Amino acid sequence: MFRLFEESGFTEVKSAVVPGFRFRKAATQGMAEAYGVKAVMMTARKPG
Amino acid sequence: MSDAAEVQASLEETLKTEILRMYQEVAETPDAEFHFYHGRSAAELFDYDPEELEAAPEAAVDSFAGVGNPHLRADIQVGDTVLDLGSGAGLDAIIAARKVGPTGKVIGVDLNPTMCEKARASVEASGARLECHAVRMEDLPLPPDSVDVVISNGVINLSFRKRRVIEEIFRVLKPGGRASITDIVSGKQLSQSIVNDPKLWAS
Repeated sequence: MFRLFEESGFTEVKSAVVPGFRFRKAATQGMAEAYGVKAVMMTARKPG
Repeated sequence: MSDAAEVQASLEETLKTEILRMYQEVAETPDAEFHFYHGRSAAELFDYDPEELEAAPEAAVDSFAGVGNPHLRADIQVGDTVLDLGSGAGLDAIIAARKVGPTGKVIGVDLNPTMCEKARASVEASGARLECHAVRMEDLPLPPDSVDVVISNGVINLSFRKRRVIEEIFRVLKPGGRASITDIVSGKQLSQSIVNDPKLWAS
């Protein structure tokens, strides 16, 4: 998604992992970890 | 339409149905168990301002289904026009409405008309106004260069056409406008069985 923001023309694209995010069900969380699934915060600016 | 395009269209329609069903369930039965944490405990986990949660209608807090807190970096100012992409039950829109004040404007977009109604009612109960459009986020009914800030919380990952969604965010933002998004990303290519499973996708 980071790349999509940059390719769409945004500047100042930044991202960080959302601390504490996890899925409620253990099986879903296990699958998420296996696939590197995580929640991120992203900010970006349209050039002025 | 080619075979691949037909399959894609069919998957999109199935996914849309499953997303509508799941988030309707979150709105109507917030006490049920879902794959994700939701409600007040999730909002507290993501560092939402306790004063904002206290001021918001209980229904909006109970049906909160975000994956983070886009307000932490949104820098919303008095008088801003804010677009909440996937406004859901309305908690993020309510917080944005309090920040922009009476000279600003908050616009919601949600696939589910019921959620739009619920968000509109919640925002009005908090003393502000929400213009909510029940449409797909890939085709925003807004003019170019019309929005100061776009916020979104756990929604873009639900789209089959993420590039199109982000291009739409770019189009509607004013020059110098900003996006603050929290969402789910994957570090690896998901298997086709996961990609084609609407229940997992919608969760």
